[in-house]
Amino acid sequence: MKEQEGHENYAPGRMSRRRSRHLGWNRRLAVALAAVTVVGTVSLGAAGGGAAGAASSTASSSVINLTWWTMWSGTTLQLLNTMVTQFNKTHPGIHVTETNIPSSATTSTAKLLSTIAAGDPPDIFTEWWPEIGSFAADGDIVNMNQYLTGQYAGFEKWEYPVAVQAASYKGGLYAVPMSLNSWALYYNIPVLAEFGIKSPPKTLAQFDADQAKVWTFSGSRIVTMGFYPDTDGNGFQFYTTFFGATNCFNKAGKYDFESCPGAKAEMNWIASFDKYPYAQVMAEQTALGYVAGGQTDIFTNGKSGFELSGPWVGAQNVPVSNPDLEGRFGVEAFPGIVPKPSTLGQGNFNIIPKGSAHPAQAFEFISWLAGYHNESFVGSIDPTGGWVPAGPSVTKAPAYQKWLKANSWLSGFLPQMTSPYTQAPLLTSTQAQLFTAENTATANVLQKIMTPEQALKYIDQQANA
Amino acid sequence: MQVDVQAKKSAVTVARARRRGSLRSPHRRALRLGLLFVSPWIAGFLLFFAYPFFATIYYGFTDFNGVGAAHWIGFTNYVNLFHDPLFKTSLFNTFYYTAIELPLSTVAALGLALLLNMNVRGRAVYRTIFYIPSIVPLVASCMIFVWLFNPAFGIVNDLLIDAHLPSPDWFFSVAWSKPSFILLGLWGLGQPMVIYLAGLQGVPRDMYEVAALDGASAWKRFRYVTLPMISPVILFNVILQLVLCISYFTQAQVIEAADPGGPGTSTWFYVQYLYEQAFLFLKLGYSSAMAFFLFVISAVIMVILFRSSARWVYYASEQQ
Repeated sequence: MKEQEGHENYAPGRMSRRRSRHLGWNRRLAVALAAVTVVGTVSLGAAGGGAAGAASSTASSSVINLTWWTMWSGTTLQLLNTMVTQFNKTHPGIHVTETNIPSSATTSTAKLLSTIAAGDPPDIFTEWWPEIGSFAADGDIVNMNQYLTGQYAGFEKWEYPVAVQAASYKGGLYAVPMSLNSWALYYNIPVLAEFGIKSPPKTLAQFDADQAKVWTFSGSRIVTMGFYPDTDGNGFQFYTTFFGATNCFNKAGKYDFESCPGAKAEMNWIASFDKYPYAQVMAEQTALGYVAGGQTDIFTNGKSGFELSGPWVGAQNVPVSNPDLEGRFGVEAFPGIVPKPSTLGQGNFNIIPKGSAHPAQAFEFISWLAGYHNESFVGSIDPTGGWVPAGPSVTKAPAYQKWLKANSWLSGFLPQMTSPYTQAPLLTSTQAQLFTAENTATANVLQKIMTPEQALKYIDQQANA
Repeated sequence: MQVDVQAKKSAVTVARARRRGSLRSPHRRALRLGLLFVSPWIAGFLLFFAYPFFATIYYGFTDFNGVGAAHWIGFTNYVNLFHDPLFKTSLFNTFYYTAIELPLSTVAALGLALLLNMNVRGRAVYRTIFYIPSIVPLVASCMIFVWLFNPAFGIVNDLLIDAHLPSPDWFFSVAWSKPSFILLGLWGLGQPMVIYLAGLQGVPRDMYEVAALDGASAWKRFRYVTLPMISPVILFNVILQLVLCISYFTQAQVIEAADPGGPGTSTWFYVQYLYEQAFLFLKLGYSSAMAFFLFVISAVIMVILFRSSARWVYYASEQQ
C-alpha cells in the first residue's frame, strides 16, 4: 500500500487536488502566454502600419511623396537618379522616390497587379513590355486625358505623333514615353571592309547579299555573323514598318496578318535566314547578354556586320562593353521595301497605375521626365542614355545638339521619328499576346518549325484569342 | 491489467457523456486549450491554402483579370483550354519530362545511395560531394548549366568536340532541350539520395545475414530484402519527385529568359504557361482554370499511385 501513498485520490478521470491546482495554474499560464503572443503580434503589426501611416501623413501635409518603380539598373539607373534629384530640387512641393524593381516582364507585371489589387500601387510605373493596351482595357491604369488641360493642353501636340499613337487606347492617352526607341541598321565598318563591303546597303536586295558575305564558321561555331533577324528577342514586330505590316486588321477589327501582303513579304524575308544556325546564334546571344549581364550583344562584341537596334547600343553598350568599337560603326535607315526612313513606334513608357495616391502630380512628373517644358535638362540626359526623346523640341536643346555633333551616328535615328512611314502598333487588349506570338512565330520560322504562312496564321490565332 | 480496465471504463464514460451531449468540464477546457494552440496553424491553413484553393476554383469559371470584377462565364475557360495548342504543348512537355525524369532520378538516386551505403574509406567525403549540388541555389545552378552547356562557349561541347563526339545544341535544340533539363535535374539528386540512404540504414542487418546464410546472391538480397524494406521510402520519394516534375517552373523560366518556351516551344512547361497567362496576359480566370485542371490531373495520379502502393509497398508494422 505504501506505493499508493500520495495517490489515495487517484482513479482514472480523477486526480489529486494538489495536482489539479498545479495543472490549473499551468493552463492559465499557457493561455496567458498564448494571448500575450497574439496580442503582441497584432499590436506590433498595427503599430508598424500606424507609424508608417503617421509618417506619410506628416510628410504629405507639406510635400507630396511619389513612388516610382522602374526596372533599370547599372548606368541607366544612375541617369534616372540624376533626373529624380533634379526634379526634387526644382519641385519643392513634390518628392519622388525611385525604386528599382529588377524583374522580367512577367514578374514586374505580377508585382504591379498585386499592388493595384491591394490598393497600394506605386504612383508611376515604367513598363518595358507591350502591356499598355492590356492594362488600359482592364482599367488598370489611369487615362491621362483629364490632365491635358491648362499648361498641359498642348502636350500631345508637343510629342512626336508616333509617341501619342503608341500610348493611346480608344482615344485616351494612357502613357508618356520615358524613352522612345528608334530602330535603325548598325554596321561594323572594319568587319564589312574585311569582306569588301565599302558602304552600307541602300536596298533590301543589296543588304541580303552583303550580309551573306560576312557569315563565317569554324566547324559549327560562328566566327563572324552577317545579320540575323531574331537576336535580342526582336522578332517580327520590329520589321513591320519596313514592310508595311505594322497594323494588319480585317474589316471586323481582328488581326489579319495572314492576308496582309506586307506581312507575307516580311515573314518570307525572315524565312530566308533559316539557312543559318538558330541555336548557335541564340547561344551566343544568351552567353553574352542574358547570363553575362545585359549590355553585350553579338554586334557590340564586334562579331556581327549588321544589327537592327536603337541608340542605346552606341550610347551605352559600346562605350561600356567594347570601347574599341567606338568610331568604327555607322547607322543607316533600314532598307526595307517601304520608302525609308521608318521605324516602329515603341519604347519604354511611364504609366500611372489605378489607385495611385497622387495621379495629378504623377502626370506632372512624367511629363517633366519626357522633357515637356524641360527640354534643356532632358536634352542633356536622353542622348547619354541612348533614348530618343518624346518630343522633337528636346533634340533642338543645346546639350542635345552638342551630343549630335560629337556622335554623328545618332543622327541616323532622328529623321525616322517624323517620317510618315513610321508607325506604332495599334493598342489593343491583346497587345501582349500579339507581341509574344510574333516572337514565337519568328523563332519557329527561323528553325523551320513553321512555314511563313503557318507563322502568320499562328500570330492571328494567338492575338485574336 | 487493472489500469487497462479502468482506462477502458474512462473511455466508455467519456463516450456516454458525449452521446448525452454533456462533456465533462476538464475535457472541454482541454479541447479549448488545444484549439487555441492550433489556431495559428488553422488560420494560416484557411488563409493561405483553403481560401486560395476555393477561390481558384471559382475564378476558373470567370473572366477575372486580377483587378476588376470577376464575371461568371461558366465553362468557357475549360472549353478554350482544349482548343489552345499551347496548352496541349505545355501539358505534353510536362508529362514527357515527368515520364523520363521520374524513373531516371529514382534509379539514379537509389543507385547512388546504395553505393554510398557501402563501407568504404572516405564514405563521408563521397556523401558530401554527391550532396553538395543539391544545396547550390537553384537559379545559380541554372546559370552554371547554361554556361557549361552553351553550344557556342560551353566547356561540355569543347570536350565533346575534342573527343570527336557529336556536340548537340543542348538547351537551344528542339531535340536536346528536354534531355538538357533532365540532365539538370539529375545533377541535383542529393536530397532523394540522402533519404534513400536513411532508408537503407534502417534495414536490419540480420535480414541480410539470414538471406546470405540461405544462399541468396547479392541481386536476390537487393530484390527480396532491400527493395521491400525501403519501399515506403521509395513511395515517399516518388511522390515528392512527381510533385516537383509536375510543377516544373523555375529552371525553365531562368534558362529560357531569352527565348521563353525554348526552341520551338519544346520546353514550354505547364506552370510556365499558366504563369504567362496570369501575369503577362492578365487572364487570371483562364490561368485559374489551368491550375485547377492541373490539380485534378495530379490528384488522379496520386490516387492511382497510392492504390497501386498496396501491391508493392511493404510496411513492417503491418506484419506485427
